[in-house]
Amino acid sequence: MNLFFALSPFLTLALGALLLMVAEAAAAGNGRGEKVRPGLALGAALTCFASCAAAAGVWFYGVERIEGLDVLQPWLIIDRFTLFFAGLLALGGGLASLLAGGYLPEHQIERGEFYALLLFSTLGALILAAAGDVLTLFLGLETMSLGVYALTAFRRASPRSAEAALKYFLLGSFAAALLLFGFALLYGATGHTDLAGLGQAVKTIASGALSGQAAGPTTLGAAAGPLVLFGFILVLAGLVFKVSAVPFHMWTPDAYEGAPTPATSFMAVAVKAGAFAVLLRVLLVCFGDKQSTSWANGWPAVIAWIAVLTMTVANLVAGRQESAKRMLAYSSIAHAGYLLVGVVATSRDGTAGTSGILFYLLGYTVATIGAFGGLILAGHRGAEAVSFEDLAGLGRRHPAAALPFALFLLSLAGVPPTAGFFGKWFILKAAMEGGFSVLTVVAFLNSVLGAYYYLKVLVYLYMREPGAGAPIATPMKSGYVNVALAVSAFFVVLIGLDPSRSLSVATRAAASLFGG
Amino acid sequence: MNAFYSLFSAEEFSPLAIVLGMPLLGAFVNGVWGKRLGKEAVKTMALSAMAISFFAALFTFAALNHHVDSSAVEKVVEGHKVVEHEHVKLSWLAWEWMRASGAGGLSAIPIQAKFSVDALSGIMMLVITGIGFLIHLYASNYMETDKGYWRFFAYLNLFVFSMLILVLGDNLPLLFVGWEGVGLCSYLLIGFWYDKLPNAAAGKKAFIANRVGDFGLICAMFLIAHYCGALDWTGIEAGAKSLLSPDMVHVWPFGNAHYDGVFGFLQPKVPLMMTGATAVCACLLLGATGKSAQMPLYVWLPDAMAGPTPVSALIHAATMVTAGIYLICRLNFVFVLAPGVMAVIAGVGAFTALFAATIALVQNDLKKVLAYSTVSQLGFMFLGVGSGSFTAGFFHVLTHAFFKACLFLAAGSVIHAMHARVHDDEKSQDMRMMGGLKKYMPLTYGTFGAATLAIIGFPLTSGFFSKDEILFRSFSNSYQWVDKARAESLKMWMPPAYLGKIYYVMGVLAATLTAFYMCRAFFLTFYGDFKGWKIGKPVAAEGHDEDDHDDHGDDHHHDDLTIPGAAPHESPRPMTIPLIILAALAVFGGLLNPGLAKSLFHLESIPLEHWLEPVFATSMAKGIHEVEHNLSMELMCTAGAFSAFAIGSGLAYWTYIVNNGAPAKQWAAAAPGLHKMLMAKWMVDELYDATAISMVDGLADTFVGADKIVVDGILAQVTSFLAAAFGTAFRAVQNGMVHVYAAAMVVGVAGFSWFFAMPHAEGMIVDKGNGDFIVAAAPGFGYEYKFDDAQKFGATSEKPVHLDLPAADKSDKAKATAPVTKNVVLTVKNVFGIQDTKTFVLVRTPAKDKQMIGQN
Repeated sequence: MNLFFALSPFLTLALGALLLMVAEAAAAGNGRGEKVRPGLALGAALTCFASCAAAAGVWFYGVERIEGLDVLQPWLIIDRFTLFFAGLLALGGGLASLLAGGYLPEHQIERGEFYALLLFSTLGALILAAAGDVLTLFLGLETMSLGVYALTAFRRASPRSAEAALKYFLLGSFAAALLLFGFALLYGATGHTDLAGLGQAVKTIASGALSGQAAGPTTLGAAAGPLVLFGFILVLAGLVFKVSAVPFHMWTPDAYEGAPTPATSFMAVAVKAGAFAVLLRVLLVCFGDKQSTSWANGWPAVIAWIAVLTMTVANLVAGRQESAKRMLAYSSIAHAGYLLVGVVATSRDGTAGTSGILFYLLGYTVATIGAFGGLILAGHRGAEAVSFEDLAGLGRRHPAAALPFALFLLSLAGVPPTAGFFGKWFILKAAMEGGFSVLTVVAFLNSVLGAYYYLKVLVYLYMREPGAGAPIATPMKSGYVNVALAVSAFFVVLIGLDPSRSLSVATRAAASLFGG
Repeated sequence: MNAFYSLFSAEEFSPLAIVLGMPLLGAFVNGVWGKRLGKEAVKTMALSAMAISFFAALFTFAALNHHVDSSAVEKVVEGHKVVEHEHVKLSWLAWEWMRASGAGGLSAIPIQAKFSVDALSGIMMLVITGIGFLIHLYASNYMETDKGYWRFFAYLNLFVFSMLILVLGDNLPLLFVGWEGVGLCSYLLIGFWYDKLPNAAAGKKAFIANRVGDFGLICAMFLIAHYCGALDWTGIEAGAKSLLSPDMVHVWPFGNAHYDGVFGFLQPKVPLMMTGATAVCACLLLGATGKSAQMPLYVWLPDAMAGPTPVSALIHAATMVTAGIYLICRLNFVFVLAPGVMAVIAGVGAFTALFAATIALVQNDLKKVLAYSTVSQLGFMFLGVGSGSFTAGFFHVLTHAFFKACLFLAAGSVIHAMHARVHDDEKSQDMRMMGGLKKYMPLTYGTFGAATLAIIGFPLTSGFFSKDEILFRSFSNSYQWVDKARAESLKMWMPPAYLGKIYYVMGVLAATLTAFYMCRAFFLTFYGDFKGWKIGKPVAAEGHDEDDHDDHGDDHHHDDLTIPGAAPHESPRPMTIPLIILAALAVFGGLLNPGLAKSLFHLESIPLEHWLEPVFATSMAKGIHEVEHNLSMELMCTAGAFSAFAIGSGLAYWTYIVNNGAPAKQWAAAAPGLHKMLMAKWMVDELYDATAISMVDGLADTFVGADKIVVDGILAQVTSFLAAAFGTAFRAVQNGMVHVYAAAMVVGVAGFSWFFAMPHAEGMIVDKGNGDFIVAAAPGFGYEYKFDDAQKFGATSEKPVHLDLPAADKSDKAKATAPVTKNVVLTVKNVFGIQDTKTFVLVRTPAKDKQMIGQN
């Protein structure tokens, strides 16, 4: 029973997804060959929120008090870190389903499998965040990714959607192959597939204790070093592909633009958060030793370079986009860059850096869902708002639709008192106190650069009028989208006004990663 | 009843949430839905919000009183029974606002959204909600016909909310939130009729002048965080000691930077330093002068009269402008550590009091007289707190809130009535157009008169007691309360003892002028003949503005106003009731703290002083030195204050009642230059225009020029070229070709591989002093290390090195100070067997050795 309780966030999602599939199959036709699908979106959202609530329940009950979790070892690790991500991912999934509930019927592409795919993908992300073994990790990763590939291709009539999905799928397979090959090398060198055991073995090998000796975890001796190193390089490449960091990001704008907007928002929040969860776990558990975290020779330097590249490239290119949706895609790449700055900071003070990342992800999730939701709300059937021009003058004509959009963009830009400001502040502070001052300054300058394109949207919303003859956007009406926006706005403001509470939650989650 | 108060513990006093929350709710409801709700609903919302807030404040105050009483301890000091009570504080922690994880630095100072009420803020809270309610009531009628009714009450409620945050906030950042909030509301309300250019300009002026002060407040916050390690009141008080530590603030060169370039002559031989306390207090003073309209930042307040009159009464007389004095009283334990700054505060106050009073002498606009009078009275408050008598200064805040709010509201009532006749904004405020209103508006006359008596210090009114106390304290204060030896060791400037006497004289002069100009305003408005009969409407043929206050006298809309029309009316009841209450307070409020009576009748204690005692206990214990409580000296000071009242008001009576204003004209003719200067308000605005503003303008012009050439020309061209080039290059890559994308990934993997395959011989030198160094190589995955010419690689990544100085050779000074150097070569080998080397140069300088010994 304990086990069921501990796994309830996962089980809820799985059960909900299955029920939705049954419901979809059993849905009655309306006589014209179309199925009536009452409340599938609501069901999906409720499933996600139930999963989120289950995670919260386990969190507040105290995961340490639950006995009998050893059975799961080493496949799944249920700790506060996992629970935090379970809650976060389920929240992201739930909000994305709400967006879908408004968007899909409006654009006449609603089919039941969307929600099932979304839920299974969320489940994959949860497993990814909980994975304590390479096998479950890969299983989770692929469950998540396959769902997302399908979601990207969901608009079957659109060649663009299909192209995006195919690209995403090909490159994703490539990255998965790298990851798998990397794990194979690591297994070969250490004889371990569980992350903790891997970490122990890597620590021994990294300290050079095996050089010139024949004994060790395997009989490889000195040859284990190069194997581990290559394995690590490939694993790292596979993981940064998922967080879409430069130069592994090139699929992102195409896939984000081609996918239906709710799927895009799901990719931007849940897939990214799941990838960061696993990146943190792999880096800090498997490669958290002194040698691997050395500033001069270990992964922090590599991640720092990637972070700098990611932020700069994404921000510069985002500023030149004409499509707001594509701009948001690049914006999500840039945010991955800021988050990677936090990852670098974890190499000095693990808890501070990790808690900064978790807090940032929380604010980023609600603000991004909100921003995509704002974009969805700005368009209607046959006239989806995509470009900046589509948004011109919306603030004057429909203030109620434009205001939340503006709020989320300000949060993404990091304007106080929104959640985004404190997210950036905690990450930059962790980096600064870790001694990475140059990196901090670069991240800071980049966030200035980022403000340019977020404010550009505000300029279009409030200070431009649509050109003569241009189609005038009228917002769609959807209770689902409104609820998603209201929930996101509530969190953006709440976290911004009361950051300490969320931070203490994030800090507890982060501490559990280090056995605290 | 006691059980009733004990419902809430002192640490979790949640009724504060109602005090704070109701005005916010009112502002929110009226701000969002006000336009649709209609006037009645807006009025109900705003007034009930204020009323509930006021009752919650009353309850809070009663509970505070209860807690104070239960903490009281009776003691016998020198044969007298003395009741002492603790500094009781009721607080409510809304939530923890900011706390960063990690250790040290800012993480050590969590900032809480915590509100607290003690003796000092309790009184402020009552004033804000109580007078706030009265003024809301008044405004509900005064603004009746304005089409921005809902907007007005949303702003006004928001103002009350911000002011409460300012007063009830338990730490400086929270106070700052309120400080900025009231600044914003003040800006919005000054420019309430924003379609008129001067009003919008006045709003901007207030906003900008306040920014200068806010800069000071922010700097003070940083300094306090640095020195005291806390930002909440209790923490600052506990850490205040370190403000007098030898760790001083380097004012010039700033931050003790050393510079010997071309401008090296700017570097003084002896750096200019001040103690932390002095720096903090100077910065706080700058903040306070901005908000409380003191020299040199007072210029915004007279212009702020462009706002509706209830706003002038609430914001620019009773509450917001006293925030500076509240801040000084709140941080009294910091200010007593800097007697120099206290002397400056008193000086600024005395000078402002006198200066503003001279300008008020000749103003013809009724509200302008009151505005300058406010500046002048705020000067008195500064004089009081600067003289180390926080109680006296704060008492004047209280009495001033009563009589000045009453004066403004009565003036509003007059203007309201005049406007109904004249339909001209300027003329309806011009005292030359009034006169004889006593007959038509008896209630307004009576209340205005009562408040005038209070402000000019008519014996036994509230203003008499508070002003008298301030003057006495400034006379008896010597500024010598910091230990001389300590002051010298910190190079503190000790103000001379005679300063107090000078300030006293200035204060008495200002009080004389106050009596004169206030009586002048009173006589011109209410006595003599009504001159309003003969005011012609500027453009008589034109129709009325829709938003004019023309709810009275509908019949004269089409009259030719040069002939007698309907007489001015008394204002309706919602406007007169607040007037009566405030007038009563203005007359009798002095009984709260009759300082003179205490000395005359040897009272044990007087209410306000006794009530505030625990708040100022720490700073009083620091021993602000006063001359022995000397009855004859106090009586003499009182005589000065009384003669100020008698001379000023007598002269005004003689001039304006007996001689009907003739002497005033003669004086103006006798000294035309002086009169002109006074009329032009000493040309201060012009001075600002000529100096600061023209400088900024010049700077702006320069930048515009530079902008055109450098930014628009060179920078924009270059960056746009770069960005375009970048974009083009990038687009060439981001071409949608999946194999190009894959290639980019391969490049990434190759980059990783290159980084990990190539070893990096990095490391750092640790200087342990006295020639001991450690060369520590950065760890790396599977690295092996070799130092210098060692034969084999090993796992040891550190190497200790010792550098000897050459044998002491006194004859060769150059050799004795020459640095000694040594090279250490580090070679690392990684798991692939690839090697990398780096040479570290160790340097030992004898001079540095000495420094290090000195530090240890």
